[in-house]
Amino acid sequence: MGGEGSGFGIGDAVRRKEDRRHLFGRGQFTADLRIPRLQEVAFLRSPIAHGRIRAIHVPEGLRDRVVLAGDLRGARSIRAVTDAPGFNAADFPLLASDKVLFVGQPVAMCLAPSRAEAEDIAQAIDLEIDELPAVVDMEAAVRPDAPLLHEGWGRNVFLTREFEAGDLERARAEAAVTIERTYRLNRQAGVSMEGRAILAHWDDRLDELVVWNSTQMPHQVRYALALHLDLDEHRIRVVAPDVGGGFGLKNIVYPEEIAVAALAAQVRQPLRWIEDRREHFLASIHCRETLYNVTAFATAEGRLLGVDVTVQVDAGAYATWPNGPNMELGMAIKNVPGPYRLEAYRARGWTAATNKAPIGPYRGVARPGACFCIERTIDEIARAVGREPHEVRMENMVRPDQMPYRSLTNMLYDNGDYAESVRIAADLVDVASVRARQAQGEADGRLIGVGFAAYTEQTAHGCGEWITRGVPIIPGYESCTARLMSDGSLQLLVGIQSHGQGLETTLAQVAHHELGVPFERISVRHGDSALSPFGMGTFASRSMVMAGGAVARASRMLAARIRPIAAQLLQCTPDAITLRDGAAHGPQGSVDFAEIGRVAYVRQEGLPRDAAPTLDVTATYSPEIDTGVFCYSTHAAVVAVDPGTGTVEILDYAVVEDCGTIVNPMIVDGQIVGGVAQGIGNALYEEIPYDTSGQPLATTLADYLLPGAPAIPGIKIAHMCTPAEHTEYGMKGMGEGGAISPPAAIANALRDALADTGAELCETPMTPRRVLAAILAAESRIHAREAAE
Amino acid sequence: MIRREIALEVNGRSVHASVEPRQSLADYLRDGLDLTATHLGCEHGVCGACTLLLDGEPVRGCITLAVAAEGRRVDTLEAFDEDPLMNLLRQAFSEHHGLQCGFCTPGMLLMARDIILSDRVASDAELRVALSGNICRCTGYAGILRAISAAREAWQARPHAATGPA
Ligand code: FES
Ligand code: FES
Repeated sequence: MGGEGSGFGIGDAVRRKEDRRHLFGRGQFTADLRIPRLQEVAFLRSPIAHGRIRAIHVPEGLRDRVVLAGDLRGARSIRAVTDAPGFNAADFPLLASDKVLFVGQPVAMCLAPSRAEAEDIAQAIDLEIDELPAVVDMEAAVRPDAPLLHEGWGRNVFLTREFEAGDLERARAEAAVTIERTYRLNRQAGVSMEGRAILAHWDDRLDELVVWNSTQMPHQVRYALALHLDLDEHRIRVVAPDVGGGFGLKNIVYPEEIAVAALAAQVRQPLRWIEDRREHFLASIHCRETLYNVTAFATAEGRLLGVDVTVQVDAGAYATWPNGPNMELGMAIKNVPGPYRLEAYRARGWTAATNKAPIGPYRGVARPGACFCIERTIDEIARAVGREPHEVRMENMVRPDQMPYRSLTNMLYDNGDYAESVRIAADLVDVASVRARQAQGEADGRLIGVGFAAYTEQTAHGCGEWITRGVPIIPGYESCTARLMSDGSLQLLVGIQSHGQGLETTLAQVAHHELGVPFERISVRHGDSALSPFGMGTFASRSMVMAGGAVARASRMLAARIRPIAAQLLQCTPDAITLRDGAAHGPQGSVDFAEIGRVAYVRQEGLPRDAAPTLDVTATYSPEIDTGVFCYSTHAAVVAVDPGTGTVEILDYAVVEDCGTIVNPMIVDGQIVGGVAQGIGNALYEEIPYDTSGQPLATTLADYLLPGAPAIPGIKIAHMCTPAEHTEYGMKGMGEGGAISPPAAIANALRDALADTGAELCETPMTPRRVLAAILAAESRIHAREAAE
Repeated sequence: MIRREIALEVNGRSVHASVEPRQSLADYLRDGLDLTATHLGCEHGVCGACTLLLDGEPVRGCITLAVAAEGRRVDTLEAFDEDPLMNLLRQAFSEHHGLQCGFCTPGMLLMARDIILSDRVASDAELRVALSGNICRCTGYAGILRAISAAREAWQARPHAATGPA
């Protein structure tokens, strides 16, 4: 291959192309764009969780600065319809005109030359709402007496699901150990450092709507705008400029975005909306809020026999576009078995509608909860049978000789050695020395403990898998146009979007590997619907495998076009040509890509008779299997907890993971650590509680805690590498994984630290208040038992 | 609308402006002077994305009023294109993967430069605390901490290290 040994190929820790602009403060985020006549938009939002709008009084003189639902023409409410059986659809209005269903729901748009003035206008509007009883708790929401959010629905339920495989009754009968638990992951937000943002203007020369949008999926946004506006898709261009983090929450098309685009097209006035942090907490998607009731059966040795689980998801008020809230439940049910051999499994669940912000995808989607459910339970089984949790884990895992292994929930685990990842993790945190230290006790009176959590993560899944999820858009492929220019430099135009993942670098590494064009002469252009062929975007741990595959394929198509031209110039046969170091090499000599490019574009008399001019090819790529390739990992945490205050410190943290072939180890490790940091936030800090009237209680960074540098320990990382058999180079996706295990690993470490008290942490985030409550609850159980004896 | 006239020095140039008394310094720099390296991540003083220097001291541009900069010197990342220490930091951030999306980066760089110049941290734990007012959602801080340590070492090891400021 062309890039071997150059230091810029597959497997090399190449420094990122994207760094320079950011390091000089010259990134171009949506708020940084400058365009004449621009008006800024502020949204007036509902201050009430559930109510009926009686009147909207706009002060005299401001009416032409305020846009209400009835003022928008040719723009439709969002309707995310999925094929999930029994799914209840709920139109999400761009601007509410009748009912409001959550605090923060957009009601009016206010226009002014600056954000501050636009906010002044919003503040001057008098919004009269007749308040209705709010539905805030997901369990109360589904009771027959609960007020209904959506007229026409019998119950506040988006969808229900059931699944059963294997003989659960037999597992129950054979079990020596039965564990019953309730686990709760509380509601949180995604919190990209740049909030949502959109700038839309009508380009009169091209007669098209141009939309600059902080999104993970510009092509899907274009599709969505054509769907929701009276505009042909060829009149819409969507560009994602620099995007300051996404993590899933920018993988949605929001009502605010469609409203701004619609109005810009309608009034032919450049408009921009920049979300502020409070709006982010109110009305960007929320995530994670799930309740698991689990019963697990095991033998006296700790062999898992069966699992029976009920999953409840709190989806908030509306279904967002494209996928609505249905993925969370389906993926939870699919992923509870995790990396374990399981012979009997029953799962039931429902997704409730409540008067809270809609939920959506956030790094890990459902799997942090599923992992918490099974991994906390495995620990309880191990404790019940008196064994080391990591050993019980290893014995229950799918073995390499069983691969490929079809799970009960029909996921095809392709390869790897799950138990080995646990063994290495146990070595990295040195379980024996933690045990010795525990026996000795800590001088400061704190208690220490070690905990593990493993997962196997489906990544880069194709068409068939997405169909089973009932989603309306099937992201089963990616695309790339590769263009060797007349001077021998190379452009890659791709349909994904990169917002921190470093794909401007790694995709260039792939093309360099295939073609030998010098790395610095390759540029990757992404995030612009006018530039590249249609592509799905960056989410679901897919872009390196999918777009990397498309780049590999396009590069090979280009090589197949370059060879005959080089052969003609070098007077040899095309198969005698190798591509390396920016040139084509034949048996007798070499010709550099600049000469080949010159011939292909501007001196076509040098082309072979049957060769077409230009060097510009387009490829699409889907992995050879639909079922995805499984990246897996074990995390181990060592914590110290102060039993007097409930504060938790992470003393040591190790990640062992196998994402197959690694393209850029620096970037992979960066994704792991970044994911773990978010998982630690999930485990210990981040939460948006609501009061009983549906008011969110954390809407600033002062009351919603994000982990800062002192909260994230140094993370030890070890890689295993089992190349995937069905992707280019053996790559597997890995972007989300780091965020999956930390809540479970930390909860298990706390369980271990507090073993003598019997306290268990079954709810995230594990704040000092919750840790103390768990200790007190355990103590009162012990006292009650002693009193009874 | 009341406006106030102010005179200040921004990135080495003197500037006269008429601003609303409520306007933040960050908004004035971004909207009034098109200096967009100063990012806004929370606009309520917690995340540090808007860190800039006021008379050489790091402050949060989002909760500093433009009128409070009257007669003072303001420096944003745009002023440091040629700064030797900032260039060491740039190289280190790139080598140690101290940025992903880049949104927190300008604030991180200005804070990191101040930490190194003031020589106020001696250990990794102290560095973490010194950086705790700057939130990064992408990196988990590992690359940022490594980069700052590497740049600090390179800075202290530079020829004539003892003989003067940057
Ligand atoms: S934007 Fe100023 S501290 Fe967050
Ligand atoms: S690099 Fe994205 S917030 Fe720090």
